[in-house]
This record gives sequence, structure tokens and C-alpha cells, in this order.
Amino acid sequence: MNAHDEHRANILLYLDNELRGQDIEDFLVHLDNCADCRRLLEEERALSNLLHRTRPLYTAPEPLRARIAAIAEQPATFGDKPDRKRENLLRFGWRNVRRSGFRWMALVAMIIFVVLGLTLVPRVVRHAEAATFIDTAVTTHRAYQENQLPLEIRSNSPEAVTTWFAGKVPFQFRLPSSQSPPDGHPAYALTGARLLKFKNENAALVTYQMKAETISLLIASDKSAVAAGGDEIRSGNLTFHYNTRAGLNVTTWSTHGITYALVSSIHGSAQHSCLVCHQNMTNQDLFK
Amino acid sequence: MFLKPNTPPAADTVGVEHIDGLYSYALVLSRNRSEAEDLVQETYVRALGAMGRLRPESNVKSWLFTILRNIWLNQLRQRRTAPQIVEMDVEGINVGIGTKTADDDPYALYVSTLERNQVREAIQQLPAESREIILLREYEELSYQEIATILDCPAGTVMSRLARHGPNCEHCFLLHC
Repeated sequence: MNAHDEHRANILLYLDNELRGQDIEDFLVHLDNCADCRRLLEEERALSNLLHRTRPLYTAPEPLRARIAAIAEQPATFGDKPDRKRENLLRFGWRNVRRSGFRWMALVAMIIFVVLGLTLVPRVVRHAEAATFIDTAVTTHRAYQENQLPLEIRSNSPEAVTTWFAGKVPFQFRLPSSQSPPDGHPAYALTGARLLKFKNENAALVTYQMKAETISLLIASDKSAVAAGGDEIRSGNLTFHYNTRAGLNVTTWSTHGITYALVSSIHGSAQHSCLVCHQNMTNQDLFK
Repeated sequence: MFLKPNTPPAADTVGVEHIDGLYSYALVLSRNRSEAEDLVQETYVRALGAMGRLRPESNVKSWLFTILRNIWLNQLRQRRTAPQIVEMDVEGINVGIGTKTADDDPYALYVSTLERNQVREAIQQLPAESREIILLREYEELSYQEIATILDCPAGTVMSRLARHGPNCEHCFLLHC
């Protein structure tokens, strides 16, 4: 471990309250005199906080949980010699049950297959339509970034853009009004909009800029555009669908007859794109 | 094995409360869902068979993670394959959403899911030795000494590996949300 690693190690120990006695005093003295270590400490703290927020990293699936619970409920046989018969039962039991009941299970599986087939086909079609909308949103986003889709109205006024779309698209929508945070510096800025065609219907493309990053919002009628699939977050009657495509974060949702696709090129930080509608959220500090 | 007071092994629980942690560890090691499930199941089977030999003051959690890792290493040896290339099968695992209640702030819930997905992707890009240390340290909150015991290496090695993959690590760019 070189000197640099040693300082980094002390930072880790300090954050974990594992530095003691003279070590912590020496470290604090060093910290006062070393800007690099202070910066590293803050970065390590931020990284640690991020990891802690995402606990648990994975959740055991229910079938596994049930199997383990069944194992745990078996009466224990303690001693130096494990009960081989019982151990094998625990290890392979659930598979053997499946084998011995194969014919019965096959019938059940066939019934389930038919029922699922009848219910899944519409779902598959729906997901395919949703994928089309997502792909269109991503393609549009890329095209706009590459200056292949010039804006037809350039304005930072949500009211002006909303008015411009009136009568041009087969649905009514209203962009959220500008909301400035207390420091007076909005995290994003509306840049403009243009019309597009999606499945032979007019759709709206609205663009925002956050520093050097682009956020686009594709808006279409829910008769032609579907939001489905991905990681789903439900909130009342709203369901948000989170997807990633080629490094872009795409969030889709439908409400009041309109389907939205929010595409962000902000690297590694999809939550920033949410600030388009939630800039003045009181809890946005949680996501910085 | 490290001794901890107030953690007597209970035969009827076998540390079932650690199942998410063990499953995460198994996924971090194997990067394959079915393998991870088998690893966890085998861990509990072996643990149950050996509970009688465990001292009352033993650290069950650390012991379970050690068992799981040993099973994994044995499997690798049997396959005569190197651990560095394993097909990734962890994309699209929907985790945590189902544990939330309807009362949760949907925006916070949404962001939390995004964050978790990004963190998972970033961690899975790390080398195996760093993946498991981050999991054991940051998610399972095991001490460096406990991690060293599980990994069968000095605590200093654990710390230097963790330090090498801190926030400035090239693999960790995704963690900078």
C-alpha cells in the first residue's frame, strides 16, 4: 500500500468510525493541511451515501425466499454428523417434488400456458407498441442533437410554446410554468419545440437544456402512443415506465389521453431530467 | 470465525434475515440469477447442517457469507474456469419496487429506482474482487476484519482494494449521479 493508498484508507476508516486514538488525531491534522484528502473525503462520503440509499442492492425472489423458509422450518438435527438423508432432502427436495408430480404438473403447466397465452398476447402487442414510441423518442432526441430536426419555435416561455401548439396537435396539453428555485438560477431552460409525425398523427417535441445536456419530451396522443414496460413506478392513476436505450434514459407515462416520453442525455443521472417538471420540489436536494 | 456477543445462532432461523444480502453477494459473484439462487439455497442447506457445530457467540452473518463464498470458489474450481468471465444475467432484475408502499413519494420512489439501477450497473462493471468488497462493506456493513476473514486475506488488502475503487476509479463513473 503506497502513501496515497494509506491516506485513502484512513479516509475510509474515518468515515466508518474505525479510526481511534492517535490515528484519528494525526488524520485530522493531515486533513487540515491536505486539500486533496478533504476532497477525497467528501467524494467518499457522497459515494457511501449513494450506496447506502440503494440498499438492498438486490432482493431475493419470492420462490427462493419460500424455499429457504421451508428449509429453515425443517426440524434441526444437530451433531457432528449431518443427517445426510435430511440434507439431501433439503438440497434436492423441491426438485424431486417437481419430478414425482411431473404428469400432474405438466397438465397444470399446459393450462397455465393457454391462459397466459390468452392474456399475454395483448400485453406483448402493447409492449411492442410502447417500444416503438420509445424508439421514436430516442431517434428524435438523437436527430435533434445532431441538428437534423430544427426547432420551429424557439422560446423559453412555456406559455408561448403551449399556445403555439394549439390546434396543431390532436390533443390539448399545457407545459408546466417556469418555476425558479430560491437562488434564482433554474436548473434547466426550455429551448423550444416543433411538430413531428408519429403514426400519421401530429406529435409535439419539446426541448430543454440543462447546462450542456439536452432533455427532450415527445408528446403524442395515447391513441397512437403507448407507455408500457420497463421498471414501473405507480402513483395513483399514473404509472411511470423507466427504460434505457443506448445510454439514454427514457421515461414514459400516459395521462388524460396523452402519452409522454422524456429522454435525457444526462450521463448517469436520469433523475435530473425529472427536474423538468419538478424544479421547485422541496425534496430535490435529496438528489443532488 | 469472529465472535460477537448477543448473536447466538438460532436453529429455527438459520439467519434467514440475511437472504437479501446473500442473494446480492451471490449475484455479485456469479452475475447469473439461477446460479445465485442455487448458491443461496446451498448456503442455507450447508449452514443448517452445520449449525450444531457453531459456537453460541459466533457471528452467523459472517459465517453464512463465508459458506457462500466457499461454495462459489469450489464450483469455480470444479468447472476449471477462471472467475473473470461470467455471462451477465442481472439486467432487468426489478428490485425493491415491490417493497414500497403506496404512501411513498412517487417521485422519490422513481428516482430511487433509477439510482439503484445505475448503481447496480456500475458495480457489475467492476472487477470481481472489488464488487464483493463493496457489497460486503457498503451494503452488508461488515467490518474490514470480517470481510478479510470471508475473503481469507489481510484486512489491509481489503482496504487497499476498496481504496483503489473509490470515487475516482475509472469504473465508478456511473456512480457519480
